[in-house]
Amino acid sequence: MSSAAQKFLQDAAVKSADLVHREIIRKNMESYDAAHLRGRSRFKDWEAARRRCQEIKREAINHLDRYLLQFEEKVIAHGGHVFWAANGDEACAYIRDLAVSRGVRTIVKSKSMVTEEIHLGPALEEKGIKVWETDLGEFIVQLRNEPPYHIVTPAMHLNRQQIRELFRDHLGEDIPDADPQKLVALARRKLREAFFAAEMGISGANFIIADSGAVAISTNEGNGRLSTSLPRIHVAITGIEKVIPRLVDLATLWPTLATSGTGQPITTYSTLVSGPRKPGEADGPEEFHVVLLDNGRSGLLGNAEEREVLHCIRCGACLNICPVYRNIGGHTYNTTYQGPIGSVLTPHLRGSEFQHLSYASSLCGACTSVCPVNINLHHHLLHNRRDFSYASGDNAKGRTQFKLWRRAMLNSRLYVLGGWMMRRGLHVLYGLGLAGTAADPLRAWSRKRTPIPLPSQSFRKMWKKGLTQKNAVKR
Amino acid sequence: MARKVSLFVPCFVDQLQPEVAVDTVKVLQRVGCEVDYLPEQTCCGQPAFNSGFWNEARPCAERFLRVFKDAEVIVCPSGSCTTMVRVFYPELIASGSAHEEAVLLGKRTFELSEFLVKVLGVTDVGATFPHTVTYHASCHGLRELKLREEPLKLLRGVKGLKLVDMLRFDECCGFGGTFATKFESISVAMGEQKADNVAVTGAEYVTAIDPSCLMHVQGILGRRKDRAKTIHLASILASEA
Amino acid sequence: MERIRAGLQVPALEHADQNSEAQIFETIQNPLERFQQECKANLMECLLVEGQAASAQTLAQVLQSLPQGEIYVQDSPGLRRIIDAAGTKRAVRWSSEGAPKESSQATVTLADALIAQTGSVFVSASCGGRGASVVAPCHIVVGLVSQLVPDLETALRNATAEQRLENNSYACVISGSSRTADIEKILVQGAHGPIRLVVIVDTKA
Repeated sequence: MSSAAQKFLQDAAVKSADLVHREIIRKNMESYDAAHLRGRSRFKDWEAARRRCQEIKREAINHLDRYLLQFEEKVIAHGGHVFWAANGDEACAYIRDLAVSRGVRTIVKSKSMVTEEIHLGPALEEKGIKVWETDLGEFIVQLRNEPPYHIVTPAMHLNRQQIRELFRDHLGEDIPDADPQKLVALARRKLREAFFAAEMGISGANFIIADSGAVAISTNEGNGRLSTSLPRIHVAITGIEKVIPRLVDLATLWPTLATSGTGQPITTYSTLVSGPRKPGEADGPEEFHVVLLDNGRSGLLGNAEEREVLHCIRCGACLNICPVYRNIGGHTYNTTYQGPIGSVLTPHLRGSEFQHLSYASSLCGACTSVCPVNINLHHHLLHNRRDFSYASGDNAKGRTQFKLWRRAMLNSRLYVLGGWMMRRGLHVLYGLGLAGTAADPLRAWSRKRTPIPLPSQSFRKMWKKGLTQKNAVKR
Repeated sequence: MARKVSLFVPCFVDQLQPEVAVDTVKVLQRVGCEVDYLPEQTCCGQPAFNSGFWNEARPCAERFLRVFKDAEVIVCPSGSCTTMVRVFYPELIASGSAHEEAVLLGKRTFELSEFLVKVLGVTDVGATFPHTVTYHASCHGLRELKLREEPLKLLRGVKGLKLVDMLRFDECCGFGGTFATKFESISVAMGEQKADNVAVTGAEYVTAIDPSCLMHVQGILGRRKDRAKTIHLASILASEA
Repeated sequence: MERIRAGLQVPALEHADQNSEAQIFETIQNPLERFQQECKANLMECLLVEGQAASAQTLAQVLQSLPQGEIYVQDSPGLRRIIDAAGTKRAVRWSSEGAPKESSQATVTLADALIAQTGSVFVSASCGGRGASVVAPCHIVVGLVSQLVPDLETALRNATAEQRLENNSYACVISGSSRTADIEKILVQGAHGPIRLVVIVDTKA
């Protein structure tokens, strides 16, 4: 078992037993569930919306080369720059060098999971550049020196008192009644200073639009707007898979993304940036750079079965519905992308060290049932398990166990004998009071649950003895 | 002319919860079916398949096809095992004539409530069960086989049965096969929340179409000494006054 | 790019053709009514008026409700007339002079379109620039009912046809005042953008 897997099991055990955490998450998710249902009722045909979004993404991904080139051409024609980054290091280097060469001392950032993925913050900070997270949730976890807890609501795990204390200790101002309105006003004041002082704004992109050469950034707070309006340089960094063919595609994608993410009809500020300020415009950045990040995504492209995983629009719905996520929380995953999509994606982007995430699921399929682009998430978890099981090394024990299992299942006599022995053996063991102890092979069951039932006769035996036959066909 | 039905008994029902299969036979006979049991059957292969060992699961699937080759109609008291056959066999046996066979086999394999309501068109099987019951929608049956109303229709047809709704009735109970032991803490936490939701209803029984879900929930209920008990849908339907 | 091309060499999985003709959103019968409903739900203020004089009067009233201070106004002939008619004593900084100041109490702009489906105003750099819709605590949009389109699809098709993103470096569909629910999922208005978004709709234009 990899050390990441061991840490996962330990953290999961702690978090899933934490009843305070369980209650916080339950309340948050209850409010999301209600909003989400209300949001869905605004659609005449929600399933049609999902299918349409799936089609749009499928078209984009299946012709990724064409659409990315179209996008690049247009951005350059508008006076912007496009940098193709093969991996995180290249992306960080480009942005860092750009900042240094332009004399940037302060950066304001709107939410971008990609910047977490490539650890951009530290890369900039080591050059003495101060980076301010401007999304309130991201700002909060940045102050706590923590990764985001959830891809859409980064500070979901904290209550107002904790945030009040955090602001008191880091911002030097106390809000005694911890009123959320006042806490937000304090954050607004502090971050305004940063917005107006920053020389560079970094954003992600929810979508990049090929026919317009534009980047689409959705925020409710307006931090995406300020980050891309006030500083003189705007850098947008995005995964290559975020491309969509046409501006009009947003007519379906925007409402579906908002409904899935928060239950809103549309995010408050649905922004489109197509370049640096044009002559005659009142304001805006002088420079516009788009960094297109690969970092393993082209690998998924070449995997016909898994390609649809690139359709993900990062709405967070699968995290919200997942009972595993609800119990262990976002930090336990210890990856940039959490929940079902994170479990499917991370082994492909970061290697087999994170394969345990594909197994940490009961395969309930709730994720697939809510995905707005119809990704068959739980089936992809099965595919990950299949691919991992036969990869060399890691799973030798499991392979051997199942080879033995197979022998029994292919031979009904062996199966009957094996089943009988298991029941008899456990019966004796449990009779001695050893259920749940180190001697119990099923202690991972019996420790916290009453032991499995151990009938004296299998159904097969009962049938043979004629206990259940009335109109049955005699063999 | 009685309907011939071949019983598909999941391996863990055979070994650990045989009463579910006994009651399934009772119900099927009561509605006029001729029930046959092929003793050569072992396991559908789901444990190996879900663990990713498809090369070990495939021979089980191929064997299953052989064992049930001549069965006209197959009925199974488990949503997850029925799903394995109908949804996953065609993916597991991806090509060749065996693939076609698997697709056809899937079309004539039914979960119990599905068979009663959708194939036989029956919702009243002549059962009596004067207790309060709450229903847990097992994941495979709900999301893979798309069985939403069928078990509920059957429950409403039972004399004396009072059906009460449970909050988050469609949330996973946390069993998930080997997940239950490999990720014990998460599985138990999920089971506890299911048990909490059962307790709120005040019901005497919680039922489902999947015996594995019930075994897991019973483990939690028993440990907490909760009032409610688990019972499989087949056992409710087999009950008489 | 080579990696992308290499990846795309692998053929896509087959998929069943979907029914693409299904209607996703209900047809909007009464756009103005829908626009008003959505504005209310978005916590925006939607004020219907008749004629330019009424627009000016309403604008004056809104400005009176704000604290003292400079306002930033998009430099367009229409707005120059309206500001004049409103007779405000406040200092006015026009967009032709540059970006809005942080101390502005309000910004006043036109819009490119109004969208009924989501209660949105569609603005772009032509509407006084980027800062005009976020910097001040109050953003006032002076709109015309002729700018109202029923849904996002129409608005975006029009934007494409008019090459809005060729002629502007930025555009934005704004559907409410700035807000956040990052603290205990409690909705708080006025995160980084305006606390108030006021839309004056001249129903005679």
